[in-house]
Amino acid sequence: MIYSAWLSLFRWDGVAPTKVFVGLDNYGNLLTQNDVFWIALRNNAIWLVAALLLPTSIGLGLAVLLNSKFRGSHIFRSVFYFPSVLSLAVVGLIWTWIYHPDLGLLNQALTASGLQSSTRNWLSDPNIALYPVIIAATWNAVGLPMLLFLAGLQTIPEELHEAAKVEGAGPVRRFLYVTFPLLRETTLIVLAITAINALKAYDIIYAMTNGGPANSTQLLSTWMYFLTYNYNQVGLGTAIAVVLFLLTLIFAIPYIRFMTRKT
Amino acid sequence: MSQPLSTNSSVAGKSKVAIFYLALILATLIWFTPVITLVLTALKDAGDFAVNGAFSLPKFIRWANFSAAWETGVKNYFWNSVIVTGIKVPIGIALESMAAFALTHMHFKWADRIFTYILIGLIVPVQMTLVPLTLLMNALNLIDTLTGLTILYIGFGVPFGVLVMRGFFRTLPTAIIEAARIDGCSWFRIFYRIALPLALPAVISLCILDGVATWNEFILAQIFLRSDELRTLPLGLVQFSTQFSTQYDQLAAAVLIAVVPVVIVFLFFQRYFVAGMGGAIK
Repeated sequence: MIYSAWLSLFRWDGVAPTKVFVGLDNYGNLLTQNDVFWIALRNNAIWLVAALLLPTSIGLGLAVLLNSKFRGSHIFRSVFYFPSVLSLAVVGLIWTWIYHPDLGLLNQALTASGLQSSTRNWLSDPNIALYPVIIAATWNAVGLPMLLFLAGLQTIPEELHEAAKVEGAGPVRRFLYVTFPLLRETTLIVLAITAINALKAYDIIYAMTNGGPANSTQLLSTWMYFLTYNYNQVGLGTAIAVVLFLLTLIFAIPYIRFMTRKT
Repeated sequence: MSQPLSTNSSVAGKSKVAIFYLALILATLIWFTPVITLVLTALKDAGDFAVNGAFSLPKFIRWANFSAAWETGVKNYFWNSVIVTGIKVPIGIALESMAAFALTHMHFKWADRIFTYILIGLIVPVQMTLVPLTLLMNALNLIDTLTGLTILYIGFGVPFGVLVMRGFFRTLPTAIIEAARIDGCSWFRIFYRIALPLALPAVISLCILDGVATWNEFILAQIFLRSDELRTLPLGLVQFSTQFSTQYDQLAAAVLIAVVPVVIVFLFFQRYFVAGMGGAIK
């Protein structure tokens, strides 16, 4: 890790015996000349916001719904958790078919329901290609927040809900004033873990768009790979890795603090 | 007065329940659409797919897709994944549970700091380590070997494993361990004879979570394996998809072959997924 940070100060192709010390030039280069770096950074930001909103809220909703003990609630929990056990490469491949312009389910369904005008070449349009990938990633990412919220819900004593019910609070108010405040700790863990995982996203981009079209779906993680291993710009690549690491730290420091408290 | 009211509300209640289940089943169907598409595509031939699309029942079930995919290379990928996962998981768990036990019960100086240090491994983006690791593996002649990949997997698995096992070991009463200590039991015997058997549920959880994670791993395999015959499943499948991009029937069959072991594990051990994730945040 430290060696990575050190390498980011050199210009090196990964093979030559000599590395040229360039100080912070690699970072300067990234910030001023490397357009794809900015695309990737913006994509990471979009991805992060989506990851903090979508899987977490869907996971919370499902957890609240499936927490009550009705017949089959366990089966439904498994159903919604299931995509999380699939590898992101597999998730990417499956969704690539769904988005296929002619044979894909999405365009076929749109055509069948008379929305022909909304059909798109989903993964080949640089303006939108990132979003279908995010949807696919969300499908995979819902399971973990759901599990964590379910675990959090189990710790809330039933009496509190009963008391609130007696006081005349409806289900919505019970959720807002009883459940949600008591899930504060769980929510913080979920947000931290989701953010850290979101910044790790890599496989699914590689499987679905390979960063394209025209680098429009590059993330810092994939662009780091391209620079380092395809273009042999090891210094630039490691500089991106350092940027990615610093971004992760924003979410990781509170998380690590939390995990090591009460010891 | 109360009689008609209660009948009324129970009818309303019943229809409410029916609507609730209907909504859930509908949501399940939508949620599983990608999986259903995958299975249907794997079972029909390419012509059927091209004419009738992905989401129609196959005209006839074509098992040949599976054997074709298997012979085209999935066989290799599959066994590579089996070997790597089969070696990584037991060694990893042995190391991780010993470390977690030492960190929670042996009360040595800096145990907390070491734990924090190990946790950092959970958050560092793997990209940060790739270049130095490439140089290291190169120096050790371990690039493009399953041995090298397995060693990396064991290393990268440590933080999560220690976290889960520590979550469990913390719940063990210290009284048992102190009593054994006073009776003159060695630390290793305490770990092996007392702590580990009690931790069996946690060990199984970790086995499963770790097994699935190893089975699914992509980026390390991509960087450290170069030759096609050594590829593990996720990597092999992506490769397969670029090579045979139009043979959806075979590709879907290949994906299904990769997914089935995970599905089986999930079906039989799903409660351990919950237990394991719970252990990770204790």
